[in-house]
Amino acid sequence: MTAPLLALCGVDYTYPGGVMALHGLDLTVAKGRKLAILGANGSGKTTLLLHLNGTLQPTRGEILLSGQPVRYDRRFLTDWRRRVGLVMQEPEDQLFAATVGQDVSFGPLNLGLTIGEARERVAEALTALQINELADRATHTLSFGQKKRAAIAGILAMRPELLALDEPTAGLDAHGVAYLLDALQQLHAAGATLVFATHDVELAYAWADQVAIFHEGVVLRQGETAAVLADIEVMSRARLRPPLLLELAQLLREECGDEVWRPPRSREVLLAQLRERLRVGRDGRCYG
Amino acid sequence: MQAIDHHAWTNHWRDRHPLEKLLPALSLLVLTLALPPLRIGPLVLAGTMLATVYGAGIPLKTTLSVLAAPAAFLLAGVPFLAISLRFNDGFSLHFSPEGLQLALETSVRALAAVSCLSFLTLTTPLADWTPLLRRVGIPAGIVELILLVYRLIFVFAERALTGRQAQTARLGYSRLDRSVRSLGLLTGSLFQRSLEQARRLEIGLAARGYSGDLRVLQPERALSWPWLLWAMTLVGLVGLAGYWI
Repeated sequence: MTAPLLALCGVDYTYPGGVMALHGLDLTVAKGRKLAILGANGSGKTTLLLHLNGTLQPTRGEILLSGQPVRYDRRFLTDWRRRVGLVMQEPEDQLFAATVGQDVSFGPLNLGLTIGEARERVAEALTALQINELADRATHTLSFGQKKRAAIAGILAMRPELLALDEPTAGLDAHGVAYLLDALQQLHAAGATLVFATHDVELAYAWADQVAIFHEGVVLRQGETAAVLADIEVMSRARLRPPLLLELAQLLREECGDEVWRPPRSREVLLAQLRERLRVGRDGRCYG
Repeated sequence: MQAIDHHAWTNHWRDRHPLEKLLPALSLLVLTLALPPLRIGPLVLAGTMLATVYGAGIPLKTTLSVLAAPAAFLLAGVPFLAISLRFNDGFSLHFSPEGLQLALETSVRALAAVSCLSFLTLTTPLADWTPLLRRVGIPAGIVELILLVYRLIFVFAERALTGRQAQTARLGYSRLDRSVRSLGLLTGSLFQRSLEQARRLEIGLAARGYSGDLRVLQPERALSWPWLLWAMTLVGLVGLAGYWI
């Protein structure tokens, strides 16, 4: 078995003020997966993400990158951050250059690429997020959603193997969320490993293929999405509610006694199944 | 400020090489300072206004309002040049023809010179100046600082605006003493937020391999020699006209 892309083993982190944010945390990010780190507000998700690219160093425990223990010297960190891209929740914390194109070029130039290569990377990243037309726009004139996409493009231009996003959908409207998820889906199809931290169980359920439930500095359970989200005990301990889709699907399954029925992952599928059930119901076969 | 910035990013001459705008504007400025102001001044003023409004397509209203601020300063200060104080018997204020001439010359010269600079600020966003600044030997650190300040001004201006709106919504500016208090609190919180913002920006930049310098791609713009030649010919004609008339 090949080593996971990134693994955190028994990680503790105590803030300089003495506040303990992580407490014996285990987390595995397997290559090519879509992992959601689910936790309530204030559970320390951002602190956890800052460990994924070496911004914060654990006070105890081990982090393995492709099976190798990480180091915190400049050379290792440079390589680490090239491989693991971190998109912060607030795009304003990442954008510093006057135009979008210039901002996106920052990462590639730091990798030591030539001007020509950097130009290609910028075009590629802008295309991936469908914001080519923003290349020459002034950063401060963008809308929030556009800023968010520009910030992601800035990380993407470094071609990370793992893309970690902190609350990627926060502050976006439904259209913005769909647009962003579509772009992320394409990246995933192209081979990127994705991690996002969120408190939105519906999003995690619809989108992730693995979920880690994070509460008070530890991962309570990590595993396949549907199985973990259906774990009522773990979910309530983490102050989370199972997604409505899953609850509805379970209810329908109990009522109809259908064992082979797979829980739907999107509202479209659930609606189709409901429609089907209701039609069956009128025939007197399900609800009687 | 927002209006100037908006037009700088969107005018017709936004994509011209900055030198094509800088050289003519600086030449006009030199003419303004070198030749008799009452002759060259109006010509330069007309030239820069035409270039700004018809060439770059910036609304006349915006152009005039940019000139209004320095004009107001002139209006406030220059009249005193026309008045002189005499101490023959007691003291008296006099209105002298030479003083009037001096006041007029100063106003026209200052306004014409300012119009050259406002042409530049209205047609070229700050970001476009960086390659030139580096070329003339300004250290990278200073240029980076200029760009960061430029970017953060907008971030903090927005914070200040929303902060003020939130305070107003809770009647923070309903009386003079409350206003003073609210403004103090707002200023204090802005300082604190700037520090936090700086810390987070550092993390964000580190995630992208920041190692001490903020290098980004510079826009590639070809210098159009015919355009520059035409512009300089026009400037030359303005100069000749100012000299001979």
